[in-house]
Amino acid sequence: MKIAVCLRRVPDTTTKIVIGADGVSINEAGVKFVPNPYDEYALEAAIALKDAAGSGETIVVALGEDAVQETLRTALAMGIDRAIHLQGKPSADGLENARLLAAHLASLNCDAVLFGKLAVDDYGQQTGAMVAELMGLPCATAVAKLEVSGGRATTEREVEGGVEQAGCALPAVFTCDKGLNNPRLPSLKGIMAAKKKPLDIVPVSAGSGQVAIVSLALPAERAAGRIVGEGAAAVPALLQLLTSEAKVL
Amino acid sequence: MTAILAILEQRNGSLRKGAAELLAAARQVADQGGATVDALVCGHGPVTGLDGLGAAGADRVLVATHPDFANYCPDGVVATVAAIAANYRAVFVAATSTGKDLAPRVAAHLGATCAMDVTSVVMAGAMLRVVRPVYAGRALQTVDLAGTPVVAVRPGSYAGVAAAKAGAMDHVTVPAFTRRLEVTGIRAPEKAALDVTEARVVISGGRGLGDAKNFALLEELAAAFGGEATVGASRAVVDAGWIEHGAQVGQTGKTVAPDLYVAVGISGAVQHLAGMRTAKVIVAINRDKDAPIFKVADFGIVGDLFEIVPALTAAIAKVKAN
Amino acid sequence: MSVVLPVQYQPPLPASMIRRDQPGAEAIELDVLVVGAGPAGLACAIELHRQSPDLTIGVLEKAGALGEHTLSGAVINPVAIRALFPDLKDEDFPFRQRVDHEGVYYLTKDGSTKVPTPPTMQNRGYYAASLCEVVRWLGEQAETMGINLFPGFPAESLFVDGERVIGVRTVPSGLDRAGEPTDVFQEPTDLVAKVVVLAEGSRGALGQAWRSWRGVGSANPQIFALGVKEVWQVTQPLDRIIHTLGWPLPAGAFGGSWCYPMGPDQVSIGLVVGLDYHDATLDVHESLQRMKLHPLFRPILEGGQLLEWGAKTIPEGGFYSLPDRLSGDGLVMVGDTAGFVDVPSLKGVHYAMESGMLAAKAIASALANAGTGDAAALSAYDQAVQASRITSDLRRTRNIRLAFKDGFAVGAIKAGLMTLTGGAFPGDRIAMPRDADVPRASQPPAEPFVPDNVLTFSKVDAVFKSGNATRDSIPSHLIVGEQVPGDVADFYAHLCPAGVYERQGDHLVVNAPNCIDCKATDVLGPRWTPREGGSGPTYRLM
Ligand SMILES: Cc1cc2nc3c(=O)[nH]c(=O)nc-3n(C[C@H](O)[C@H](O)[C@H](O)COP(=O)(O)OP(=O)(O)OC[C@H]3O[C@@H](n4cnc5c(N)ncnc54)[C@H](O)[C@@H]3O)c2cc1C
Repeated sequence: MKIAVCLRRVPDTTTKIVIGADGVSINEAGVKFVPNPYDEYALEAAIALKDAAGSGETIVVALGEDAVQETLRTALAMGIDRAIHLQGKPSADGLENARLLAAHLASLNCDAVLFGKLAVDDYGQQTGAMVAELMGLPCATAVAKLEVSGGRATTEREVEGGVEQAGCALPAVFTCDKGLNNPRLPSLKGIMAAKKKPLDIVPVSAGSGQVAIVSLALPAERAAGRIVGEGAAAVPALLQLLTSEAKVL
Repeated sequence: MTAILAILEQRNGSLRKGAAELLAAARQVADQGGATVDALVCGHGPVTGLDGLGAAGADRVLVATHPDFANYCPDGVVATVAAIAANYRAVFVAATSTGKDLAPRVAAHLGATCAMDVTSVVMAGAMLRVVRPVYAGRALQTVDLAGTPVVAVRPGSYAGVAAAKAGAMDHVTVPAFTRRLEVTGIRAPEKAALDVTEARVVISGGRGLGDAKNFALLEELAAAFGGEATVGASRAVVDAGWIEHGAQVGQTGKTVAPDLYVAVGISGAVQHLAGMRTAKVIVAINRDKDAPIFKVADFGIVGDLFEIVPALTAAIAKVKAN
Repeated sequence: MSVVLPVQYQPPLPASMIRRDQPGAEAIELDVLVVGAGPAGLACAIELHRQSPDLTIGVLEKAGALGEHTLSGAVINPVAIRALFPDLKDEDFPFRQRVDHEGVYYLTKDGSTKVPTPPTMQNRGYYAASLCEVVRWLGEQAETMGINLFPGFPAESLFVDGERVIGVRTVPSGLDRAGEPTDVFQEPTDLVAKVVVLAEGSRGALGQAWRSWRGVGSANPQIFALGVKEVWQVTQPLDRIIHTLGWPLPAGAFGGSWCYPMGPDQVSIGLVVGLDYHDATLDVHESLQRMKLHPLFRPILEGGQLLEWGAKTIPEGGFYSLPDRLSGDGLVMVGDTAGFVDVPSLKGVHYAMESGMLAAKAIASALANAGTGDAAALSAYDQAVQASRITSDLRRTRNIRLAFKDGFAVGAIKAGLMTLTGGAFPGDRIAMPRDADVPRASQPPAEPFVPDNVLTFSKVDAVFKSGNATRDSIPSHLIVGEQVPGDVADFYAHLCPAGVYERQGDHLVVNAPNCIDCKATDVLGPRWTPREGGSGPTYRLM
């Protein structure tokens, strides 16, 4: 089975957000970058699918500037076979990035293409489904269960009030959610082996698209609360506030 | 400007809640540019609730019927939208799990841009200007979208409006399409107990409870809410073994964002706050009036929890009984 | 008033840190394995690659990413980094700014007096830096050379064969609190190497284990200080580096503070206190909090914002606390693990790097000549250190820190004389007890410290600012003595800057995940052992 995983490099989720001087992006000084956590589910799923199939190849693809190679190496250290760096600055318009990825993925002829369900930086939540649509492939998003047999996949994903079940033929695109698996950490052997695995660089240039970021701002601080009163005597007043003011009852 | 298309969801022949919110968002933008709002509903038989859509802001209600629409059918909906898209300035969906699945597919098909989890949308000249949380809500991005953007509006961002539009019903033809993904159904979730991350109400206890057995007080309060509440905890009491690790809320436990978070006997260490500060409403009950939890709580009661919690339980039970 | 004698409640390190069993069949084979990716370990790996590019070199680091457990002042003497990268210019190094002005102040509670800068404290021409950033940069250089960096893999124990160290076992990850494997369990990895370089930094656990196993002593025991540090975003650039003596420390404590500019809008501020202090309730974190409100510092910080917080120990014993041997069969010690810090100038980074480079040369020639790292061949490293600036600098200041064991006033006079005489006064070694042997008197509680959450912060808030998000359900890595009484629990609670220890009633509560690996209680109380990789702080600016 041949499986591709698209990987994004993102600021660590605990990063304190400082708005950059341009007013439209974060100040990256001193920020730690990690593989997008949801993409790690995809990497783990790819390795598991190949293992289950008994043969095949796993390929990790990342669009980004040169720093993304470090993230690709992490994927190789986890056990992915080879990496492709689509070298260039990603567009603010997700569709432009999806176009680049789709064009490149088409040449790989994979049985499955995996994504994370979202990237924890821009929360775009669109690349995987867009790539599928552009490639004319079936797509299941946010899957928390993925089983493949006989050229078909069955999936489950969480929806409001239940779990939606679906199936499709391969090749197909899947975006991965928490719960799909427990991503492995790179092992020492994996880190050493990763140095010798192929990492191909393909220069690309993304279109500017139909999106202009106007500004990036910090959300308003939570307003200071108030003490309703003391002891059980304050309960009726609290209840009043919860019902009529906060409307949560 | 012509019109805005709002795609509404139905499940088993009933409109999903959130339709009025989405129409309100579409209506506001339409009114800015003197445009109309069309609601599109894809189903396989009669759908209840369509007659109220005019009052909620829809000028027209378009119904697309197809046997494959018994379940959610992204390929069919994309084909249907694509067939009528030329008439529209923008496509709105609710940023539910279904809407988030659909929006990028529609956008890619139309060659359009897509904005997810939008909390506010207005016209800005020839563009649509949207605001959306990024970095897990730690920043807000304002973006201008050109072309025929697909906008997924985050549930809870708009309140329904009374707009008294015609809501005239019309049928649209579903073009031929290939069903690449086949949704076979929705099953009930497995979990018996409600997880802290899923509950609408979380009642959390801390060291102030004094002893493991006093969690019973919180269980009772949670029970008074009916099936929508569950019990959480701070790290200190999980460490002390009073409650299992799965209940821990905080930086190294679970991150929760319920409608109501009640912190009982919890001091409010920053590590705990990191896991619950995005709750819609926070109530704190603590003996120490200087406890940091009161700084983030919307409403606080200072005093003995052993007295306050039972009183609150009784009061909630009474409200729920009515 | 009760008296606490710390050593009474201090358990030993586990004997299992020296393993006599065989490394697993799957063990990774390296030529040289470095434990610790600080300035010492990375300089050693880089220089080793320069000397012998064909060697397979690995560096184990317990932090999840390079630099995340690194903390220093830091004003850096650039001699060593220049020597390591002779082709680069100072502007190429990741320093924040050059030191052009400095001031030393003697503080009282409300006032300060500028005193002449002692020759041992001159810093002009050096560079203010974040050592985290320097370490990340060194890591990038090492990475491009093909050196194997293994962040997130702490060394747990040494494999030995006879008297020879033959490798290292890493800590397993994914255990639950009871030590049982969970579904993310990862087995420990064994690594074998011809030479193991211990570059664990201050109070290294493996270094202690190796020294007690091999009986490697020193003239004086090693003594330590605890430094608590904060990095602030500030509204105005600071125009000089500041050092202070005196307040807020009581007379029976040795130490001082610093405040360094880190570019136009950041400063670091910190307080260092010798762990031989006499007052059981002394609390370095709280003392730093109070200190920030002093008229000398308040105007610098006001309107700013706390960005990061951290703490770490420093080996302070100097010349007389250096180990009798720095190497043995299959092993060398470099940097703080060996105690290469000059206390009067608060400098260790350049000695750490230099010792790493000297070790690299000795290892390279040992491996080239004999193919193994025998003690005899590696002793070339001991000789090189003795002939280097490390030894001559530490000899010059050999008794200055020791003079302060009787308190500040006497110490200051003696220290002045020593500086004037180039270390010749008083001639002999001043003997020092181990820190844990110094009795502490419990004073009745002073007025409780209440943080204002603007300029001053509680320990829990501080730990949050260290970026510590350790998994709560890992087994505790702290070995606590049995039946610790209430007043000792109190002593630990004050000692630990990260709120790991709390007194509840008459017993001790241990919040192990709070630990930020400063090692202060390893010196005076509960012992620190390596835990799951990536635990602890995630410093970016320290
Ligand atoms: C508060 C303070 C202020 C200071 N100010 C200055 C200054 O201004 N100028 C100056 O020159 N020096 C200063 N120093 C001293 C200087 O920081 C040290 O001398 C220097 O960092 C020592 O380098 P090292 O590589 O030996 O140890 P470290 O920098 O401590 O590095 C050791 C590394 O080993 C890792 N490690 C430890 N144990 C294990 C294990 N078992 N497995 C894997 N990894 C492990 C650690 O995580 C760490 O990354 C200061 C120190 C402190 C604490």
